[in-house]
Amino acid sequence: MTRERFIDLVRAEQEPLRRFLLGLCCGDDVLADDIAQDALVRAYVASGNFLGLSKFSTWLFRIAYNCYIDHCRKPGREHAALESREALAVPSGDASDSRFRYQQLYQALERIPEKEKVAIVLFYFEDKSIKEISAILDMPAGTVKYHLSSGRGHLKQYIQL
Amino acid sequence: MSELEQYLKDHKPVVKDDPTFLLEAQRRMDAVSGIKGEVDRQRRHGRRALIIALCAGLFLGVAVSAIAFFYPVNPESVGQGILDSLRLFLQSYKEYLLLPTALIAIALALVLFRNKRGSAWGAL
Repeated sequence: MTRERFIDLVRAEQEPLRRFLLGLCCGDDVLADDIAQDALVRAYVASGNFLGLSKFSTWLFRIAYNCYIDHCRKPGREHAALESREALAVPSGDASDSRFRYQQLYQALERIPEKEKVAIVLFYFEDKSIKEISAILDMPAGTVKYHLSSGRGHLKQYIQL
Repeated sequence: MSELEQYLKDHKPVVKDDPTFLLEAQRRMDAVSGIKGEVDRQRRHGRRALIIALCAGLFLGVAVSAIAFFYPVNPESVGQGILDSLRLFLQSYKEYLLLPTALIAIALALVLFRNKRGSAWGAL
């Protein structure tokens, strides 16, 4: 795959990719964009391995999810997550209005297990099918359905409708 | 659709329009172009090695089959050799060899399974 072709494909997928990571990072847009950049670099280096057997977006989301997992495993992540939570909790400036609107959702997402969170984000925010989620997360469709159901159950406890 | 599902659909995160995002991505891509070149070179090298190994295996297989077909050997004339000793050994001690063989097979299966899971997460 040429560099130009890769950039064309990324141009079409950058918004869903950033939104996906924004959901996973519970509203921390700086962190989400940083992971997205990391994912794009990794995808670019590995683009020769992309054979077109799956959709480009599925392949890219899988790399992005792996980057996110790597970030979660980094030492000192808890401290950074706490700081970002504090930043989200204190509204200041124009950007805080949209953050405030999503605050309840992001705080709820932060409290549910990772697998449930990613299944919820992909299914409800990215409108991915169970089959696609199954390919992105490398797990059987039945397991994805279980995480979705379990995630909904957990979210109900934290979100006041 | 339940109330929660509607809530989730209505609260899709909205990303800020950032024209510098793609430019920054391209800048980072330029920075790793050397690494990409090396990865591509290694992949090409791996593919070439695989094709050569496949061709060599095919050629040797055909050659050995042809030799076995055109120059058959009388088994009795080559009896009493090391193969017969080995067969006799296996026949005599097959009960004792079964357990280590099974253990090795299980260990190999576990190693392969762990490697597969590891590569699925860590390949990219």
